[in-house]
Amino acid sequence: MSTVSAATPPVPERPLPTPTRDSQPYWDGLREGRLMLQHCAGCGKVRHYPRPVCPHCFSMESQWRQAPLDGRIHSWTVCHHPFNFFFKSTTPYTIALVDMAAGVRINAPLRGMAESALKIGAPVRLAFEPVSKDVTLPYFVPG
Amino acid sequence: MAHALRDKAAISGIGETAYTRGTTKSGLALQLEASLKAIDDAGLSPRDIDGVVPYFPGGGIAEDFIANLGLPDLAVSAFVPMGGASCVAALQMAAMAVATGVCRNVLISVGRTGYSGARVSTRLQQFPQFALAAEFEAPIGMFAPAQLYAQGARRHMELYGTTTRQFAEVAVVTRRHAILNGNVVMNKPLTVEEHHASRMIADPFRLYDCSLESDGGAAVVVSASDRARDLRQRLVTISGVAEGHPESPASIAQRPDLLEFGLAKAAPRAFGMAGVGPKDIDVAEIYDCFTFTVINQLELLGFCKKGEGGPFVMDGRIALGGELPINTHGGLLSQGHVVGLNHVVELTRQLRHAAGKAQVKDAELGLVTGYGDMGDGSVAILRRAA
Ligand SMILES: [Zn+2]
Repeated sequence: MSTVSAATPPVPERPLPTPTRDSQPYWDGLREGRLMLQHCAGCGKVRHYPRPVCPHCFSMESQWRQAPLDGRIHSWTVCHHPFNFFFKSTTPYTIALVDMAAGVRINAPLRGMAESALKIGAPVRLAFEPVSKDVTLPYFVPG
Repeated sequence: MAHALRDKAAISGIGETAYTRGTTKSGLALQLEASLKAIDDAGLSPRDIDGVVPYFPGGGIAEDFIANLGLPDLAVSAFVPMGGASCVAALQMAAMAVATGVCRNVLISVGRTGYSGARVSTRLQQFPQFALAAEFEAPIGMFAPAQLYAQGARRHMELYGTTTRQFAEVAVVTRRHAILNGNVVMNKPLTVEEHHASRMIADPFRLYDCSLESDGGAAVVVSASDRARDLRQRLVTISGVAEGHPESPASIAQRPDLLEFGLAKAAPRAFGMAGVGPKDIDVAEIYDCFTFTVINQLELLGFCKKGEGGPFVMDGRIALGGELPINTHGGLLSQGHVVGLNHVVELTRQLRHAAGKAQVKDAELGLVTGYGDMGDGSVAILRRAA
């Protein structure tokens, strides 16, 4: 359709994250093509998603460190019903939950792997997709 | 020594509206309609209610109950914000309030326009407890519980060999029970083949693995057992009740074990309080947001070993006449979704021996679970008093 008529529904907006003071370094990292993870300054344990206090030693101090991008599939789902119309054109899409080598899990779309190849433990690698000036989202490719 | 709360509180009244898809009524109107029925069922007047624990968010607040029911002296107004685990956890709060004498009669109620109002993926992002899901999961295309829980279901299948045939059994048996009920959204028989042919939502969940988005309301009144004995209905006591919260409570993705949630902590406490075990339960109403979550909960409750929930639901075991009849009213999968308060209503009916065609013969001890947010759990064990 070349003209926009009153009957044309508005293009649905992509849901974007609203970074918080606690999570901003993670999103800044993705924008720069790096996986940045929060490490406790007290006991050194890594944590995700970002939060103010270490649940192990209760230190409120932390450091953000660059993490390796490799991981292995923990589980997955193939989404057929979009629930948000922005994703309708891309269904079905696979969301893989991945045990990162860094010791946390990341949930992100997995592209370039056939459904029949999906299995627990399959190696994947994190990649970066800029979706706006400020936001880059993660996705996985076979590793 | 017996737990201080064991059998000290009772469910004195139950009420529910028609369960539909499509209503012109507001959620609050549905909530109050069910509330008035529950109060009347107990043989009480709205003036007798001095505690309210409505479902949150989306339910009425203290002011609504005072204004609409003319409550003369509301002593407790509380929310239990645990999503689908709220209603059963509210039984614990209500039991504490009436057993201590802080309240005489506590009203727990839900009203919901889950079909004609805001649908699930919209609602989810408005809840404070889902802030992490909204920030990290919605942008990558994970919005709805069907998607978030699908990864756990998939892992269970991969680790234990659980099958979609076993999922289907939960849906088919639940539907059979719903048809006996009458007040249900889904009233046509469902076959395994129809389940398998239904459209995929979030693999491995198909349409018939998912609970209904529906409109309706439900309510119960909790009173001290010694007072409830003198009220209108057969005494059904709260023998054991507990809530539990998982590690990584706001994100399934970061949970050490996707399949271990709050119910694992709540179940031993509720059984301990009641002084009974899984083998003593005659009928169970299991929060069925998805077919698979029933299978997983049966494991966490101790009805079978971890990984054996799939085989457990087969061979008629969970159907009426089976070893553990579950969801005798049709559950959230087939009756309607009022955040599980309909499970409490049904279990009370079963223990009054007033469940009609779905009555489990001689039921004396029953169990009901709640399951919500990103894995909070609650469980109550109710007893038909001698
Ligand atoms: Zn620490």
